[in-house]
Amino acid sequence: MFWVRVDNRLIHGQVVEAWVPYIGARSIIVGNDDLARDELQQEIMALAIPRAVDSAFLLIDQLAGDSRLNGPGRDATLLLFSCCLDVRRAVDKGLRLETLNVGNLHYGTGKRQLSPSVSLGADDESCLRYLQGKGVELDFRCVPNDPVPVRFT
Amino acid sequence: MTENTETQPAPQQVGVLVVTHGEFGSALLDAAQMILGRQQGLAAVSVQVTNGVDEVVVALKAGLASLETGLGVIVLTDLFGGTPTTLSLSLLKTGNLEVVAGVNLPMLLKVLQNRTQSLSELAGQAKAAGQQGIVVPGEMLRKKAAGS
Repeated sequence: MFWVRVDNRLIHGQVVEAWVPYIGARSIIVGNDDLARDELQQEIMALAIPRAVDSAFLLIDQLAGDSRLNGPGRDATLLLFSCCLDVRRAVDKGLRLETLNVGNLHYGTGKRQLSPSVSLGADDESCLRYLQGKGVELDFRCVPNDPVPVRFT
Repeated sequence: MTENTETQPAPQQVGVLVVTHGEFGSALLDAAQMILGRQQGLAAVSVQVTNGVDEVVVALKAGLASLETGLGVIVLTDLFGGTPTTLSLSLLKTGNLEVVAGVNLPMLLKVLQNRTQSLSELAGQAKAAGQQGIVVPGEMLRKKAAGS
């Protein structure tokens, strides 16, 4: 399964313990410009990844052209973004995705709270609408066995 | 002492009972479900200073009975040698259960994700996961830096 998730916290407990087994992920690719340039942070994040799972940290602009994220080779891959805008940038560069899992987006003042784990600012909302317009389905599960009652319209 | 039985276990899963000093166990169940989502067939028994031994044993028995679906119950206790552990052990012969002392979050997560296995296998995995979950990340980072 190729699975794309936006989660402010990127690699953390819910991702490693719940999503990786659910997807059967053999690799985790993090699309994040800051992390792609920060080796120490990469090492800290990668410490928690099980040994059998590969990890890579790429610039947003590299994602669409990366062979690991194109074609059948992307099966068993989890692609993580920390914010909706990064997803939009990657899609604009040509990354193809069918479903976007919206995981943890922290609450902040002025944001609309959609679920306990997801709050959307105006920028997030416009990005998600833009992605929906491109045919991307939104899935609002924080962890795999969450029900999916959240409607975003 | 509070006994905090969540819901009836789904069929054919090992029951999970966390028995601890104070509210540690129920807080641990909350933490695990924050990570894995809601789980069925788990409960915590918290032992308070005001509880008598008999009272705790009654709560343990009730917890075990509510969690038994035929595959047994794994009892995770906080401290080898402590009351929650010794009282749990006193029930070893009364039912199909295995006690693992020294519960931590990595252990509980492992158990919750492997509940269709046999009780003895699950106990072994719980022990290994609990031990492997204790790391000094700074040491790993320094080793990596030295090796590269």
